[in-house]
Amino acid sequence: MAEQILDVRDISVARGDVPIVYDVTLGVQPEAVTVLLGANGAGKTTLLDGIAGLAKTTSGTIGLAGQAIAGLPTYRRAHAGLGYAEQARTVFRSLTVEQNLLVARTGNGDLGTAYRLFPELERRRALGAGHLSGGEQQMLVLARALLGEPKVLLIDEMSLGLAPVVVRRLMSAVRELTSLGIAVLLVEQFAHLALEIGSRAYVLRKGRVVFEGPCADLAGDDDLLKQYYFGTAEDPAEHDDTAEKVAAEGEAR
Amino acid sequence: MLGSVVAGLTSGGVYALLGLSIVLTYRLAAVVNFAMAVIGAMGAFVMASLTDAGLNVWPALIVGAVSGGLLSAVLGAGLVRWFGAHALRTKAAVTVAVYVALMALGLRLFGSVTTGARRFPQPFDAPAFVVGDVVVPQAALVSLALAVLITVGVTLLLGRTMFGLRLQAISERPATAEVVGIPAPRLALAVWTGIGALTTLVIVLVAPRLGGDFSTLGNLVTTALAVAMIGAFHSLWLTLAGGLLLGCLEGAAASLEAVQAYRGVLPFLVMLALLWWRSRHEVWDTATAAR
Repeated sequence: MAEQILDVRDISVARGDVPIVYDVTLGVQPEAVTVLLGANGAGKTTLLDGIAGLAKTTSGTIGLAGQAIAGLPTYRRAHAGLGYAEQARTVFRSLTVEQNLLVARTGNGDLGTAYRLFPELERRRALGAGHLSGGEQQMLVLARALLGEPKVLLIDEMSLGLAPVVVRRLMSAVRELTSLGIAVLLVEQFAHLALEIGSRAYVLRKGRVVFEGPCADLAGDDDLLKQYYFGTAEDPAEHDDTAEKVAAEGEAR
Repeated sequence: MLGSVVAGLTSGGVYALLGLSIVLTYRLAAVVNFAMAVIGAMGAFVMASLTDAGLNVWPALIVGAVSGGLLSAVLGAGLVRWFGAHALRTKAAVTVAVYVALMALGLRLFGSVTTGARRFPQPFDAPAFVVGDVVVPQAALVSLALAVLITVGVTLLLGRTMFGLRLQAISERPATAEVVGIPAPRLALAVWTGIGALTTLVIVLVAPRLGGDFSTLGNLVTTALAVAMIGAFHSLWLTLAGGLLLGCLEGAAASLEAVQAYRGVLPFLVMLALLWWRSRHEVWDTATAAR
């Protein structure tokens, strides 16, 4: 397997005491977009939360550029180079656009790069983040993540509730991130858009990886994707929906 | 009457400071802290015990403030560790439980109203000026100045410094703040410690005038909450004004013989009036009302 900047091995993640993600192994290659797909409630957000330290990992290891980070608190994972653009446009509404960026700046984090990638934000730098449109708020979340100088950026459902034209704009920005040397792990409901910009894909179903391979293997084949999303009647996991329900709650927050 | 209102300013500055402590805890740590005044009283009584034992007042004051700060930090650490993701009302309920426990412990350690009143040092007891027949002590000016200083200082801190911006970020989205690399638990602890120490100083300032017993001082949280409500748990300037207003109202009530025995209920009346005023435009859920 090619060199991986984020190396997740046999990780299990729980919400409270309920296990949601089981023994997942995945890798993110440098300067590439890796796509993580799955139906609602598959455990995608829980997995990202586990990698970022927001949800409890009960087993497994997480390596970031050779450094083991599974035992670190969330903010130290960020300092180690792990960025996370959570879903639901988590801007700090009481701060201005620029203040949102400044609070996240570490080391040589550069406002100029963020503004070059999202010139819309520079025009609104003094505006309260709560007054931005949904698309602009999502841009701000991505730009803010850049100020932490991440080696790997986890992006969760950035298209949620946004117009298709805005989603395409964001996707092109994600592609640009890789040219800045950032590796991306992208969770996305618009699978076909994500597969267009991704190099490698994983599909999660009921907390387990059921597909791993090049994005090209899934692109354009809706039936295959559906099969990986929902499985078959013989799949034993079909009969245990507790974890799925809890994961869905986690992803809806 | 005017003299009584001016005399009320003596308490007003202190009430403003207590209200500010509540508002700051709410804004920066997202907790309505019912245990705030009793924590301050604990620190103040540590100080009083040390001065009773012969220690000079200033080192005793420092030890008292540190004790109040540490106690507050312990409560904050517990809330961050075990209740960080819980709803506001759950965290408030935890502070109520801590209030009850510390009140019981304080009464046990330091005595009740009749047995436990302490002589607190009064470094600012000298008269500052006289209005009519009312002598306004320096303590009134000190508490007023401190309240204004803290309001201005915290406003500048929150709006103009990176530390303040990060505190705002933590108060709004603690998990996201950590995600972007802000050491939220560490900063939250600093906030809890600072507010605990500040509350101790405020209680020390007001203790001589209120009789110096643990129960009265610990229950000042009622007044503090009323003042914080005037500031809508957000505005520092309104909270400052609210503290002064409540002090003046209390002073005015003290001058009227018919109501002076009931002036202790003023904070509750203020809370009721504010709750009514702020809910006057609320619309009942029609589906529920139709049942």
